Amino acid sequence: METSVTAIMPGLTARVVVNEGDKVSKGQEVAVINCMKTEIKVLSEHEGVVKKILVKEWDELQVGDPMVVLDV
Amino acid sequence: MLKVINGGIETLVEDWPGRLGFLGKGMAPSGAFDNVALGFANLLVGNRAGEAAFEITGGFFEAEFGLNTAIAVTGTPKAPLLNGKEIPMWESLEVQKGDIIKFSHIGEFGFRWYLAVAGGIDVNPYLGSKSTCIFGSYGGYEGRKLANGDVVRLLKPTRSLRGVVGRKIKKGLIPRYTREWTLRAIPGPNTSPDYVTEEGMNYLFSHSFKVQHTSNRSAYRLEALPDSFFARPDGGVGGSHPSNIIDHAYAMRGALNICGNTPVLLIADGPTLGGYMCALSVINADLWKVGQGTPNRDFIKFQMATQEEAAQARIDQKKLLTENTLI
Repeated sequence: METSVTAIMPGLTARVVVNEGDKVSKGQEVAVINCMKTEIKVLSEHEGVVKKILVKEWDELQVGDPMVVLDV
Repeated sequence: MLKVINGGIETLVEDWPGRLGFLGKGMAPSGAFDNVALGFANLLVGNRAGEAAFEITGGFFEAEFGLNTAIAVTGTPKAPLLNGKEIPMWESLEVQKGDIIKFSHIGEFGFRWYLAVAGGIDVNPYLGSKSTCIFGSYGGYEGRKLANGDVVRLLKPTRSLRGVVGRKIKKGLIPRYTREWTLRAIPGPNTSPDYVTEEGMNYLFSHSFKVQHTSNRSAYRLEALPDSFFARPDGGVGGSHPSNIIDHAYAMRGALNICGNTPVLLIADGPTLGGYMCALSVINADLWKVGQGTPNRDFIKFQMATQEEAAQARIDQKKLLTENTLI
């Protein structure tokens, strides 16, 4: 089953810290959002394998935008 | 006490009107970014409107109450959960020792919540205020945003909980949230014709400016102005860019600083002086709207106002933030 790790804040994508094929655990940092001149960590709510990365540095984000697809 | 399970993105202790009287020492006033939502939350639980409360920016704050008390949550319309169940906003309710409150992401409109607790927050006032200045690392709770595991002392309710639980704001008085915030503003001190073209001032008071993702409690940065905004080719002795002027004091809070081509609203924790021109000042009664402007999503428009209108709006807002607005 697939699920997405989504943006928790509006802002810009600072970076994605996982690669396709990586195993991630629940609570693991997956990406970072740049907002309010600070970096906000985006954590995975699920354990799974990174299937696809949907965003790149400087991409604009709104709350709920998918950033990374996980196979869970 | 309140035990922080998750500090969230940025949760601060803030009161109102903040730390006044120290601009000359370079100290920003800090204080609640949205004093209206703070005021209503406090009034609902029987506190004075300016008592310190938790300002929750961006969300994901989670905490456990260590006493039986009354709380009220105001701000961005996304109700938090109490023990897993949504609670009503803009009204007071009772919480029990051990109850857990949890916020998720921001609502469709607005950017900040205020969580007031009956009696207030027990942090030592610093220079007359309980407000946190995060850029100066003073005030509030250890001069910083709350973090996982923090334990914040709460004051005991000063009134019987029975007397405050269930209070609501009168219908029609809850502020209207939007994604385009109109701020009434007085032009100046650096305007047309000396610093800004007439076309530039018209642009300033008609364009809808997107709030930039770099906006924070120090400054709300808006999308860039066109070069035609400036009346001068450079800043003369102030510097090479036409936005440069000789250093002067800024009208904190609410001055629109023009930093290069970027208009910057100087707010709670902003600088108190510098060498950039200021083209307008937002009236005090509309400052709360800036605090609900969501970076990288919302827009800000300026509407010209007079000093008389500003003074009246401030009086009207003060009248609004009284117990007469509660049912």
